[in-house]
Amino acid sequence: MSGWAIFLGDLVEQSPLIVSGLVRTLQLAVTVSVTGFLLGVVVFYFSISRNRWLQSFWRAYISFFIGMPLIVLLFLMYFGLPQLGIRTTPFVVATVGFTLNIGAYNAAYLTTAYNGLDPVEIDAAWAQGFNDRQIFRYIILPQVLRLSVPALTNQCINNIKDSSVAFLIQYTEFFARVQELASTNFQFFKAYMLAAVVYLLLVSVIVLLARQLERRLLRRELTTKGV
Amino acid sequence: MALIEIRNLHKTFGTHHALAGINLEVEEFDLKVVMGPSGCGKSTLLRCLNRLVEPTSGDIRFRGESTLAASVDVRKLRQSIGFVFQQFALYRHLTALENVTLGLRKLRGLSKAESRDKALFELNRLDMAPHKDKYPAQLSGGQKQRVAIARALAMDPAVVLFDEPTSALDPLMVREVAELFNRLRRENVTMLCVTHDLTLARQIADSVVFLDEGVVKAESSIAHMVSEHAEVQVRNFFGGDDMAQST
Repeated sequence: MSGWAIFLGDLVEQSPLIVSGLVRTLQLAVTVSVTGFLLGVVVFYFSISRNRWLQSFWRAYISFFIGMPLIVLLFLMYFGLPQLGIRTTPFVVATVGFTLNIGAYNAAYLTTAYNGLDPVEIDAAWAQGFNDRQIFRYIILPQVLRLSVPALTNQCINNIKDSSVAFLIQYTEFFARVQELASTNFQFFKAYMLAAVVYLLLVSVIVLLARQLERRLLRRELTTKGV
Repeated sequence: MALIEIRNLHKTFGTHHALAGINLEVEEFDLKVVMGPSGCGKSTLLRCLNRLVEPTSGDIRFRGESTLAASVDVRKLRQSIGFVFQQFALYRHLTALENVTLGLRKLRGLSKAESRDKALFELNRLDMAPHKDKYPAQLSGGQKQRVAIARALAMDPAVVLFDEPTSALDPLMVREVAELFNRLRRENVTMLCVTHDLTLARQIADSVVFLDEGVVKAESSIAHMVSEHAEVQVRNFFGGDDMAQST
């Protein structure tokens, strides 16, 4: 049998596993995109707090988790924590580890956008009698979210791609299943090309959605800028 | 009893004395104009009134009650004192109408319909109703200022503070701003305006407060400041000696 026939035969045979891996990839990517976004907003909220201690702590959090390689964090949690008696599933470790990492990046994107806001708007809101939480919710957040859309959607793309490292902590996602397929028939090039094409398709969907969102926001932005 | 009484107010930033013992009163329905050179403490004074800046010492009484007491609800106080900023400070992501309704809905707890009606009334009062759906960037400087005033008035404040209302506007707009102030005064809006724009002051105030180096140096009519005030510095600020030399 030719290499292609062997590969396709194994692919069909293992397709239920590969599809389930793909589902688990999407499960992880969607989960951590949502939790990472929410954590990013919370970290951002505290990192611009008027309380200096809170601000310093959360800014240090951002630096720490951006500085730490994701794989180190995942290994620390998956292989290190059991030595302290803390054991959990690969999905939970991946979700927590990715969330901590993505939250830090998202908070940094939001902070960058926040630095572009006119501080006098915040003064005006205080002068009107709004409290810090109301100012965050009604004045700051809507503006920084709009400004951060490109960075946040790029992060979602990274989340899909980076989810492949979860196989290193025995989370049997799509890439782990492709590894298994490759090791069954030694058709590494074909297997990894298949993985590349599938990731490309997934990312393309996100890119298309992100572009639509950005176009809509740009139209609104041009209106708010008076163009 | 004056609406606002400021007694021996001090504010220091490090070693700099921005306010060095201000005494001032604002009566209800009054239009009080505070003038002075840049850096004399005008804006700091305004910001102390609604506690955007905390005074170092002294007292501010609003309707007879100290605003600096620990028991004061600062947010409630701020809702009673409208503030129109130098750069107008409209919320960029909201339309003119939304800029006015936001405080009504979230601070006053009005319904969507009630806040819209109130906001439209205030925008209409300032001839801005036709521009209600425009974003700040689509408005001229004068229009932005009117929206900022409508936003302040919509909260039914006891007094509206204006920080340099003409500094971000074309000089040709000064007369328009003056007409607006005079109209609001006729409508019994109490206003405290800090400015270094003498043209504006002449058009809206019979008497002005002159502030310099953090203290009130004089309070009288502009005519008196120009020609008869004892201090040369005061006469100079109001153009008295220049006018004398040019005639």
